[in-house]
Amino acid sequence: MLRFLVRRTLGALVILLFISAFTYFLFFAIPHDPALLSCGKNCTPDNIALIHRNLGLDEPIPVQYFHYMVGIFAGRHFSVGDCSAPCFGYSFANSDPVWPTILNRFPLTLSLAAGGIVVFLLVGLGAGMLAAWRRGTFIDKFFSSVSLVLSSMQIYFVGPIVLALLVYNNQIMDQPKYVPISEDPVGWFSGLLIPWCVLSIIFTAGYTRMSRSTMIDQLQEEHVRTARAKGMSSRYVFFRYAWRGSLIPIVTMLGLDIGTLLGGAMITEFTFSLAGIGRLAVDSVLRTDLPMLMGVMLFSAALIVLFNIIVDAAYAFIDPRVRLS
Amino acid sequence: MTVYMRRTKATLVAVAAGALMLTACSSGGGGTSKNDTKDKQDQNAKQQQSQITFGDAAASTGPAEEVPGAKPGGTLHALERDSYTHLDPGQIYVSNEGQLATLLHRGLTTYKLDSKGKYTVVGDLATDSGKETDAGKTWTYTLKDGVKFEDGTPITSKDIRWSVERLFAPFITNGPAYLQQWLANTAGSDYRKLLPDGPYKGAHLPDSLLQTPDAKTIVFHFPTAQPDTPYLMAMAGYAVVDSAKDTKEKYDKAPVASGPYKIKSFESGKSMTLVKNTNWDPKTDPARHQYVDTFDITFNHQAPDSTKRLMSDAGENQTSLSFANAVDTKSTPTVVGTASIFKRTVSGYQPFVGQINFNMKKITDLQIRKALALAIPTKPVWQALGASYGAEYAGGYISPTLAGYQKSDPLGKVAKPDGDQVAAKKILTDAGKLNTKITYAYINTAAGQEYSVAIADALKKAGFDVQRKDLPSDTYYDLIGKVDNPYDIYASAWGADWPSTLTVIPPVFDGRTIADQAPNYSHVNDPKINSEIDRIKAITDPVKAADEWFKLNAYITTDVIPGVPTVFYKQLQLFGSKVGGVVYNNVTSGIDLTKLFVNQ
Repeated sequence: MLRFLVRRTLGALVILLFISAFTYFLFFAIPHDPALLSCGKNCTPDNIALIHRNLGLDEPIPVQYFHYMVGIFAGRHFSVGDCSAPCFGYSFANSDPVWPTILNRFPLTLSLAAGGIVVFLLVGLGAGMLAAWRRGTFIDKFFSSVSLVLSSMQIYFVGPIVLALLVYNNQIMDQPKYVPISEDPVGWFSGLLIPWCVLSIIFTAGYTRMSRSTMIDQLQEEHVRTARAKGMSSRYVFFRYAWRGSLIPIVTMLGLDIGTLLGGAMITEFTFSLAGIGRLAVDSVLRTDLPMLMGVMLFSAALIVLFNIIVDAAYAFIDPRVRLS
Repeated sequence: MTVYMRRTKATLVAVAAGALMLTACSSGGGGTSKNDTKDKQDQNAKQQQSQITFGDAAASTGPAEEVPGAKPGGTLHALERDSYTHLDPGQIYVSNEGQLATLLHRGLTTYKLDSKGKYTVVGDLATDSGKETDAGKTWTYTLKDGVKFEDGTPITSKDIRWSVERLFAPFITNGPAYLQQWLANTAGSDYRKLLPDGPYKGAHLPDSLLQTPDAKTIVFHFPTAQPDTPYLMAMAGYAVVDSAKDTKEKYDKAPVASGPYKIKSFESGKSMTLVKNTNWDPKTDPARHQYVDTFDITFNHQAPDSTKRLMSDAGENQTSLSFANAVDTKSTPTVVGTASIFKRTVSGYQPFVGQINFNMKKITDLQIRKALALAIPTKPVWQALGASYGAEYAGGYISPTLAGYQKSDPLGKVAKPDGDQVAAKKILTDAGKLNTKITYAYINTAAGQEYSVAIADALKKAGFDVQRKDLPSDTYYDLIGKVDNPYDIYASAWGADWPSTLTVIPPVFDGRTIADQAPNYSHVNDPKINSEIDRIKAITDPVKAADEWFKLNAYITTDVIPGVPTVFYKQLQLFGSKVGGVVYNNVTSGIDLTKLFVNQ
């Protein structure tokens, strides 16, 4: 197991290094000069050159990239202040330090992702397994149909409708907002309830369909039939053998989804005016803010890679037939 | 205002994405008569176009005129789209930061908006709007007694000198450069040579340029006459910085307040809380109030979100408003057409004037420019920006918000917003230029696509061979801002920095300033315009100068024809039912924050 983790971690670092280089060099292909963000009126070539110097953009791109990578491991000094490792620099747009900004935004994204995951796992897996258990019945058809409808829904469509119905027009619920759980657990829950439910809609459909089909496959496996033939109860067989066997593809999907969600649920954050990692990513792209863009990109990529490793490691626990080597 | 314009111009078009084609008085839920809406617009237009005067000591004495019905206390919630990028006065240029600065920072002068809607430039930290001698070359200011920073430290002439001198430092790149250029008597960025490190290494501006003979007196000696100095000193970019607490780049995150409010907390991109500055003395301030206890500002609210929240007027939204967001264009018909909502609105002009630029490096034939000017319809642009609440047809390049504005329509675009393609075709035919190729670059947003199709169709009707070229919205101004750009015509907009044409005609039409990313997007370089700019700049009588600027505007519009003025930008703003003292301010291009109170 240790060898597996070391090998995968080294592989992950190579992937992240590749992503960082790819993003950094690709950024300069955009026909937009980030110096213009700070150039004010009557922006002159002299002023642009001065800003290039201030931002370190006057150096060759490979040199800039080298300094950037060194900063991540050893820290750097900027005119705005010292930046200790891991130093991802300061925003071109507003001089915010990148790493603290990401850490500041992450709790919201974590809360949003965690709540959404709980909702779509509970509802999605529950509905899928119920449909599989009652295959061919009204329950199966109902959940299959609902999941088909939900899978065609989009957050930017459902979100405003839910807000109009529950918040603006009928005032049944409060405006969605983020309050740290440490400050006000009730406010945290009530403030994120609508975003959780809306976010989970598109994911729920996928999990319902996936869990239904994998469970149906599992129920037809020989070891399940054998268990039944031995006289074990349907419920015992369902949860002890079939359910466990159906988890591998679900865990694979879940690992990728968790990584993606923690990297920022952009549309959900925009729809509900929440300031998380997704919002930060979009803003940094729109503002061609290289340091922030790099920071968010690497952070998100690291989470996706990390959860892939966790998923691979989890296979061994879920299915004893899988051996990590 | 270039950065603001870069973002705003792109955004203005983006905001109009999917904009409804509103009729003049709109439709909607009923309840608001056409007269109500027209009265509101007329009243606002009248207020915008009144002459701005420079106030004396009496006009500059605090406290500010009481707002009827105002009560102290309470929290106001502000729903803003954009977070504040700069808080250091020296770096402030954009409108939303300039608007916030009215609560945080004070300069030598400021704008006073009275209950009759009249604007006066008055002394803010100074006792008056400035004493002019030496035919407008020397301006003397005396600081008031009792003006302090938020920590109680008195503001002295040393702080003013420091605030001016630090603008020459290399880290100040975003704020206005007028004062520096006026002192150094140079264009562009050459002013930095005067004080390359700012005051940080012990060097100072010579007394021949800036004198501070005692703790209260500041004397500016400009090499040439600068009659707009009172306006200039009111810019947020020239507000005072605490010399003892100047942390250079870091000051941008934690400035020391001198206005009625100070920053309690600021999480960039998330929220900001302002609380009362207890060391602000209302007796020293002729323009601001301190009615509200706390401003709770949150960011990331796009216009549809802030509009829906404010329309609902539920719970916290009753004490909410948006300092800078306009009403979402899709919701405008409902807002305007519903009396209970419409009464919670204010509207007004923004300083921007839109135009379709002709690239004069490529289109050198005046007859072709004439034909283009006649053929191009301005109605599609007006419609895309939200019709009468988002725009007004422009007759020239000078906005109604500028002092001495004179209504004119020399190209007949206000009278004929659909353009005159028949007359244009005749010009082309007579000149033997039918089927002239025109590359029309447009911003690739929904609005840009919408109006560019209509404009291209009109040009084809007039006999041009038009090729539309879409440019991405985030790089649009980078691409058209290049001197050697390959496009023939493209849209842009420009806003004045203060209510004087000095901040419009010279930057946009002075041929000596042509450079990559400079705002002379048409690349106009006309000897008469250049010499007239120099002549009018030297006129010290603001009324006469305004008149001369308008004559030059007419010459540019009809004789040089570097483009077609399209619209004056406007906006409609909405607020909660428990927000009091809401007035639209032309100078800050939004709700005047200094008069707000909570109806508890």
